[in-house]
Amino acid sequence: MSIVRTNDQGKAQVLGNIAKWIVLIFFFTFTFIPLLWLLISSFKTNLELQLKPFAMPKIWQFTNYANAVKISGLPRLFLNSIMISTVSTGLTMIVTSMAGFVFSRERFPFRQGLLNLILAGVLVPIIALMAPYFRLTNALGIYDSIWALIFTYTAINIPISTFLLYGFMRTLPRELEEAAIMDGTGFVGRYWRIILPLTKPGMVTAGTFVFLFSWNEFIYAMLLTSRPAVRTLQLGIRFFTSQFFTDYTSMFAAIVLTMLPTIIIYIVLHEQIIKGMTSGALKG
Amino acid sequence: MKSIVRGLALLLIIAIAVPVFANGGSDAAMEETGEIVLSFPTFWVGQDSKSGPIATLLETFNNENTGEIKVLLEPNPDTDGYRDKINTQLSSGRAPDIFVFNPDPTTFQYYDSDILMDFTDEFSGSWRGNFVESYVVDSTKNGATKSVPFEIAITPIWYNADLFKKAGISEFPATMDEFLAAADKLKANGIVPTSQMTGGSNAWTSMLWYSHIMGSLGGPDAMKKPLTDPIYAEAATVLKKLYSDGNTTRDAVGGDAGVSGGHYMAADTAVFINGPWYIGRIRGDAPEVHAATMLSSAPKVGEYEGNQVGFMLSNLAAANTDDPRRRAAVVKFMKFITEPDNVKFISESAGSLFAIKYELGADADPLQREFVRVSSEATFVTGGLHNYFPVSVIQEFGQALAALVLDEATPEEFVQMLIDAQ
Repeated sequence: MSIVRTNDQGKAQVLGNIAKWIVLIFFFTFTFIPLLWLLISSFKTNLELQLKPFAMPKIWQFTNYANAVKISGLPRLFLNSIMISTVSTGLTMIVTSMAGFVFSRERFPFRQGLLNLILAGVLVPIIALMAPYFRLTNALGIYDSIWALIFTYTAINIPISTFLLYGFMRTLPRELEEAAIMDGTGFVGRYWRIILPLTKPGMVTAGTFVFLFSWNEFIYAMLLTSRPAVRTLQLGIRFFTSQFFTDYTSMFAAIVLTMLPTIIIYIVLHEQIIKGMTSGALKG
Repeated sequence: MKSIVRGLALLLIIAIAVPVFANGGSDAAMEETGEIVLSFPTFWVGQDSKSGPIATLLETFNNENTGEIKVLLEPNPDTDGYRDKINTQLSSGRAPDIFVFNPDPTTFQYYDSDILMDFTDEFSGSWRGNFVESYVVDSTKNGATKSVPFEIAITPIWYNADLFKKAGISEFPATMDEFLAAADKLKANGIVPTSQMTGGSNAWTSMLWYSHIMGSLGGPDAMKKPLTDPIYAEAATVLKKLYSDGNTTRDAVGGDAGVSGGHYMAADTAVFINGPWYIGRIRGDAPEVHAATMLSSAPKVGEYEGNQVGFMLSNLAAANTDDPRRRAAVVKFMKFITEPDNVKFISESAGSLFAIKYELGADADPLQREFVRVSSEATFVTGGLHNYFPVSVIQEFGQALAALVLDEATPEEFVQMLIDAQ
């Protein structure tokens, strides 16, 4: 009887493994095929892409990559995007972690009203703010500089990031702070030494959101800059579209090139990144 | 945490310290030396066919005016994004020094403000003679000409004469009945008659077919009629025939401009519609089809014939100023860029057509000559449907057309969908 049960368990384990691998292969394929398609398409002519989008290229068009670098000036735009996205993410994290701390841990008059006012910003479509931001950056004398984008992206992301960090900080046990107060820790110390380290997973989530927004944003990058020296990658990729024609294959080559540094950084640092994302989660 | 803070601090220091991130100091320095610096944001950059000749002309102008005027081109690669940016700048009261003005009803509303430079005085002189008069009239509202007509478009029927010849058709059919008979011959030879599309933001190819049909049915003022006029359903009935009985490709429903143009360039289809900006593309990607392409007006459907669909694509405008030197500099540039020889240079390089009178040179692209021919032979020119109706209607057009050709809507229901979107 026990032998039969062992055989049944073995079969169940094998079936479970097969099911697991089917699911894994399905999602791997679902994720990987579009990237592979992008890579292969970046070596085609536009006509090949339009007529046989899933066929291999007849002649591999390496010139698409030369076009990508030559036309859009990718290296400079890449540096600008890194700078703008990183600094605006950092500023947003500083501002909203403080806001989240105060709103979630302190009691003061109009607290709920102020919080609601900030969080209501999540509901405002960013396109509705184009004219005010344009006027503001001109008035501040930062139009056509990376600061116009850094401050705008920071401001735009404050509501959603505050919402995420406020929600996260609210779940932290109050006893931790009380113990720190007993030890003589002040207001700043509670924020800096107690709450902030415990909020790391929440900040990774909010920071990722802000970084991706800043990295992919196009409308304000176009509106608030005019010189190529201060522009971002998203504008560079649009150099392959014109009023009546899009050079998709060169654009794909540009997209592949812009993905490469990120992939290389992830391959080199993936252990540290995963460690950083999960370490805080185990503490709370 | 400390390393993150340190990294962020370092990036902040770099951003502050590196001078290239500061706001254009060199331009201000040029202004201080007495040189007038004019910004010229434009989408004629990157892959746009006019990017090369425009850059060359700007360089020539700047060289001719060294120390006096400098026009700085600001590249804005996305046309829709550019228009959003210009509209935001105009609504904020900060127009760029010189810019590409979208000659649509929305942008013309800025004529009522004093934000745009008024060129009425300049157009009362000999400069006006350089332009095709109708475009100056179209760019003048309430007696004021606040933008300079520049690029225009005409969108005739393109057909592959080699495929027609293969099917035993010697000339382009004059009427729709003859066209449908010719389509049968093409199909008998394994050729799909027309490129069509219901996708994209405006179902461009099919929307232009519809506009041609409307012109033939209702004459020059056809699309000035309200959508409740039966002519719109009548035109839809005709357009549906071009989607029936194998008269277009299977992927036309849902297909975009890439599908429509791609089939024509691959010689899968024999008939197509587009503007002169497509010349460079077809010349490069499908030289045999380019060599075989001829142009025509659409087959006659109703009372009118020989009509074309055309419109102003881009005007040039400038920020109003009280400074007479800046104004003179802007006017000098406008006159330079619209000189017939300079326009001819852009036209021959890019394949575009312009609102300025000029003669194409002997080396001009034969297809571009065809455009000039059909334009001059047109009995009348109407705009496209997109020139008469709001964006919401144009965006609905493709959806309604798909429903029509899939027998999910009658021609009357097709029109009702457009009315509902209005």
